[in-house]
Amino acid sequence: MTVHEKHRDLKEVTIPVAGMTCAACVRRVEKALSGIPGVEEATVNLSAGKAGVTYDPAVCDIPEMASRIQEIGYEVPAAHINLLVLGMTPGHCEHVIGPAVRGLSGVQDVSFNFATDTVTVDFLDSVVQAAEIKKVIRGLGYEVQDKGEGADSLDRERELRQQEIRRQTRNMLISWPVATIVMILTFSMYEPLDSLLPDWSDSKVLLFALTTPLVFGPGRQFFVHSWNGLRRGVTDMNLLYATGIGAAYGIAVINTFFPDAGFGGERAVFYEAAALLIAFIVLGRYLEAITRGRTSESIRKLMTLRPRRATVLRDGQEAEIPADEVIVGDIVIVRPGDAIPVDGKVTEGYSSVDESMISGESIPVEKSAGDDVIAGTINKTGAFRFEASRVGADMAISQIIRLVEEAQASKAPIQALADRVAGHFILGVHALALAVFVFWFFAGYDLWFDASTRLMLTPYELTGLEVFGFALLVSVTVLIISCPCAVGLATPAAMMAGTGKGAEYGILFKGADAVEAVSKVQTVILDKTGTLTRGEPSVTNVIPADPAVAHADEVLALAASCEKNSEHPLGEAIVEEARERGLDIREPEAFDSIPGLGVEATLGGVAALLGNRALMQDRGVDISGQIAEAERLENEGKTVMFVASSGRMVGLVAVADTLKDTSVQAVRELRRMGLQVVMLTGDNARTADAIARQVEVDRVLAEVLPQDKAAEVRKLQEEGQIVAMVGDGVNDAPALAQADVGIAIGSGADVARETGNIILIRDDVLDVAAAVQVGRRTMRLVRQNLIWAFGYNMAAIPLAAGILYPLTNQIVSPELAALLMALSSFSVTMNTLRMRGYRPPSRRGPSTLARDAPTAFQHTAVEVTS
Amino acid sequence: MTESNVSRIAAFVYTGVSVASAAIFLAVTLAGDYDWVARAGGAFWVFFLTLIISMPTVIPMLRERVRGAS
Repeated sequence: MTVHEKHRDLKEVTIPVAGMTCAACVRRVEKALSGIPGVEEATVNLSAGKAGVTYDPAVCDIPEMASRIQEIGYEVPAAHINLLVLGMTPGHCEHVIGPAVRGLSGVQDVSFNFATDTVTVDFLDSVVQAAEIKKVIRGLGYEVQDKGEGADSLDRERELRQQEIRRQTRNMLISWPVATIVMILTFSMYEPLDSLLPDWSDSKVLLFALTTPLVFGPGRQFFVHSWNGLRRGVTDMNLLYATGIGAAYGIAVINTFFPDAGFGGERAVFYEAAALLIAFIVLGRYLEAITRGRTSESIRKLMTLRPRRATVLRDGQEAEIPADEVIVGDIVIVRPGDAIPVDGKVTEGYSSVDESMISGESIPVEKSAGDDVIAGTINKTGAFRFEASRVGADMAISQIIRLVEEAQASKAPIQALADRVAGHFILGVHALALAVFVFWFFAGYDLWFDASTRLMLTPYELTGLEVFGFALLVSVTVLIISCPCAVGLATPAAMMAGTGKGAEYGILFKGADAVEAVSKVQTVILDKTGTLTRGEPSVTNVIPADPAVAHADEVLALAASCEKNSEHPLGEAIVEEARERGLDIREPEAFDSIPGLGVEATLGGVAALLGNRALMQDRGVDISGQIAEAERLENEGKTVMFVASSGRMVGLVAVADTLKDTSVQAVRELRRMGLQVVMLTGDNARTADAIARQVEVDRVLAEVLPQDKAAEVRKLQEEGQIVAMVGDGVNDAPALAQADVGIAIGSGADVARETGNIILIRDDVLDVAAAVQVGRRTMRLVRQNLIWAFGYNMAAIPLAAGILYPLTNQIVSPELAALLMALSSFSVTMNTLRMRGYRPPSRRGPSTLARDAPTAFQHTAVEVTS
Repeated sequence: MTESNVSRIAAFVYTGVSVASAAIFLAVTLAGDYDWVARAGGAFWVFFLTLIISMPTVIPMLRERVRGAS
């Protein structure tokens, strides 16, 4: 659970809610929370199992919300911790520690065991950290140690899910064998069963004796839940089940003990319908309990990345402590195979670190002194030490989890319709069941009832059924066959899978609306500097005037020596390149920077020049032999500098902001996906065109000042385009905000400060394509799920209502209706699970190979003429 | 108006609506050729379904009205 300040008075909190099964549960929890004075807004996401609440902390608090959720039959998985608190005395210390700990927001309960010096605290672990609780107790003068028996909310949630699976497994083990026996006994008068079973096997009393424990055992949950909801004015799926099971069982009991009561007599005992109905619903619940957990696997994977222990240096000694007790500034020791416990900066040692769990990048990243390390990543080979810079909720992994959780708890615009329908579905179905009953009672039965009426896929003949029994049967079948669960699950389940899948690849969607919006994007604007290019100049060409006189490396070494003391970015790029090539860079005896022209230096008593045409012409250096080459390079958008020594031309050095390795591939991929790609830059038109030709964008917007970027985005929107803007989340914030979808690229570990709807952890433009692909794929799943869910209900409900009866003389049996209903919601979940194996095309093998291959621009970038 | 008052009034309203529906159903059956089991059973089923429909409709509606008035 997470809490954020919304504005001056209101706060936002995300509360985990366990035990919800359908869209009606969502409405129940939303209604219950909205009913608390001080709650401004409550939004519940079924798949994520989370409730996002905006509330006024002066009026209500989190424990009140948790207890209201629990009151209506759901659970709020809380963490608990057992602390060994030394120095406590009974009778006094509980009055000291208790109020102090209870005073922390998020603490639900505190209990004391003085015999074992244990304080047990139940708390909502995203509102308050275990470390804060320990700190408060320490602050009261006690010595506190973690007893190591605590369970965080993830364990608790898993435990609850396991409990649910165990409960439904137990229900299955009871209901299926009994339901099968009841069905066999029901049909015991038919061939070949009649010859195999004794005469008493079709005894209605026997069927009653078998079915009754089933109805009040595994079936009891439906009656209890629906009653709990009804008396608070809310309905859920359980009500449909309870009505269906109750009606089938009630009629059977009446016809067993009062066969002449007119309810169809002994031929109309639907014990097998009640029994199979329970069995199928329990099967559906069991399958959902298993598969629902899998759709939230991504977030679970992220959560499990947070290591629990850390080895730190305290007073010069190594000490293993809980990771949540590491403080900023601690020196943390990491050995081969260790998970990195908190964020920090390497101080000594060298290793390679697997960051794939954060960035999706499969190749380990080398780390040495000065490099940042991220909590949750795995150290591979070497050992190193680092200084903790961010701990607890500030860590990148915590921020990522928060972002993904919030995205999963949010609702996409497409979900609004589904929610409206699902929310009123149950009442609608009951109203329809009433209408169907009235119709068949007063009109349908007289018009079409035939003595040869059968239940679909059964040998049952309903000859003895009278008007009430028939109308009731059809009415009950309508209740059973409808499945609002599928409608309610369709969008959130797919959104959850999509946002989770994005997180696996370092693509963080800030909300379900971002997923929907990115799937509709028509134009992608890429900021040139820092997005398509590296954002810092580097040497692209070194061309000697006469290779017989001076080699390219000699030209570069001369240029670098001139610039050795320069702080100009172009000079720094030349020095950097020379260093990388291992060239000897001499210290100039004299150095003079000439603004707007270049530099003049004295090297070994010889005058050297590095600068533009004007500098050379001013000093009388003949550059005529190099002009053509210089113009060619300038047409490629590069800055050309002439190098001269002793008044003679030595060569050219070209410097440019180079494209990132994947830029060409990314633009190609985006265009292949049918998107218009626009490059936005402050450069002049010639430089911009040169880059644009290399990356093959559709359109260039050059000479755009930083403050005008948002206006350019707006212009494209006014042309009717749905625009995604890709840029630096900090500098390009206004343009990202203006765009329909803002994509902040290369945030690395610092995801919190980024603006934009989508955050790309890696500095790779290909991830823009991947984000669009994940968005499109997710929305395709949403549409498939919605079509299935709505389609199923639209087809199944009329069928159950007897629309085909006048033609076929067959009606849907309650047990067949139960089977179809269970399969409907199961199929939506299964369809969503297909996302698990999905890999965005831009992150598949061939693209990765293409990414590693040199691009056309790279050829020019490494071009050296010697 | 207190929460318990709202619940009491709501119970009165939805029970009344359900009884009225069942009574209308029963009255209509009197005009036709139905046995008493069908009439009573049908009236009960109509009462039951109407109760299920009206309970979650009436309770929040009254609560909203009370909240709006306070």
